Amino acid sequence: MNLPHVHLLLNHWPIIGAFIGLALFVIALMTRNHDLKQASLVLFAALAVLTIPVYLSGNAAADAMKKQKLEGWPTSLVDSHEGAAMLAFLALGLTGIFALVALWPSTRSAKPEAQSKSWPTMAVLVSSLVTAGLMTVAGNTGGNIRHPEILAEGEAPSSIAAMGASFILAVRYFVIDYSRWVWPVVEDLHFIGLILLLGTVGILSVRTLGFFKQLPVGPLHNLIPIGILGLLINVVTGFMFFIGMPFFYTGNWYFQLKIFAILVAGGILVLFYCTGLFRKWGTVGANEDAPGYAKLISVASLLLWIAIVIIGRYIPLGEST
Amino acid sequence: MQETTSIPHFFLTIEESGLSMWVRDNPFWAILSVHALGMAILCGASLIVALRLLGIPRDLPLAPLKRLYSYIWVGFWIQVVSGMLLLIGYPTKSLTNLDFYLKLILIAVGMVVMVMLKKRVFSDPAMSEKDMMLRGRALAIWSLVLWAGVVTSGRMLAYTYTNISYPG
Repeated sequence: MNLPHVHLLLNHWPIIGAFIGLALFVIALMTRNHDLKQASLVLFAALAVLTIPVYLSGNAAADAMKKQKLEGWPTSLVDSHEGAAMLAFLALGLTGIFALVALWPSTRSAKPEAQSKSWPTMAVLVSSLVTAGLMTVAGNTGGNIRHPEILAEGEAPSSIAAMGASFILAVRYFVIDYSRWVWPVVEDLHFIGLILLLGTVGILSVRTLGFFKQLPVGPLHNLIPIGILGLLINVVTGFMFFIGMPFFYTGNWYFQLKIFAILVAGGILVLFYCTGLFRKWGTVGANEDAPGYAKLISVASLLLWIAIVIIGRYIPLGEST
Repeated sequence: MQETTSIPHFFLTIEESGLSMWVRDNPFWAILSVHALGMAILCGASLIVALRLLGIPRDLPLAPLKRLYSYIWVGFWIQVVSGMLLLIGYPTKSLTNLDFYLKLILIAVGMVVMVMLKKRVFSDPAMSEKDMMLRGRALAIWSLVLWAGVVTSGRMLAYTYTNISYPG
């Protein structure tokens, strides 16, 4: 299995998932079904994480086609698909963020809707509608690459995809050519995000493992948004690096390993955040012992994030040959 | 070797030492990784103390955070040792860069601020949380600014050097 294979394996999930999520979400709102609403929000958050490797592996798929010089290789179709995929990825990412905000009250209390605000719900609705639309374009432009039979005679290229393609070029110009100081500043932000994320994961894990027993776990919960902010900063700045020099990262072994580790760590966090596991953990008071599963999650995420920092430092060494 | 160079010959002596060559070889990236993790411990622990003094999260007991100072010192010494090794590996690169001295000054001021914070806020166990926050507020903001400055000046070392090693 290679990266183009990974792309083909994963790329249908965000598209179909976005539609299923949207349908479930609308039904939940209409029938005022709280559990269904939570489930669709979790789905959006998980899809947003899953879309990261879909987007990244797309570059590898394009490179592989270029290398093999497939007959009549349709450069413009690939660029068009990349643009549409970028916009769909951004929209799904935004939906995932809104979903996490909407899920926030339920991480502390099992009481349905009592304390949930309405704006995150509206934001999820609007952005998931936009996402579904953009996913359609991403899927269609992607299909065009290898399925000439679905191309209508004289079909005009998608203007949305063209917009996305010029967005990618604009980001690349900004990161690489606009000023030689943009890259260093983005690197700096990437390190600041690292501190926010590891500081939060660190104190939570260390307390759970029993080191700061005077601290009740519940109030530490309010630090989680700081950690998520750090993660967001690093996803955004990380993508700026990738869009700036995709050729440097696509075949980079350390980069691939780092993304894989981030997905595992991110998956653990989504699972933990979205399934209500925290609720019991959050009631652990001062001088009380945390439950065993919480300790397991703490050790796993602490080790994973430490590994992610180390692997990240090695990326300059993993230049593809 | 050009006679006109103003770079102290001493830097070359370091670069030719066995330890310096060892650092530049394979362990360089491992030391850099340790340096990044030490940063996360030092700045992460300081961040938690500072945020709490600024009221995030307000319902977290403040006094037990005094013990985060042991993490701050562990992080600090990891940085001193790993930083010294990196310096031995590339003395000319760092010591001919003004940004490097700026970073050292910011680290010194940052640690002084953290120690002052400990004295002002955590030395009297009878002090109320409200008083602790009042007394620590300004220093907490300073510590955030200073650590951001340390990270920034450190990161910029990779982009502002003029000589990666002794010329010639």
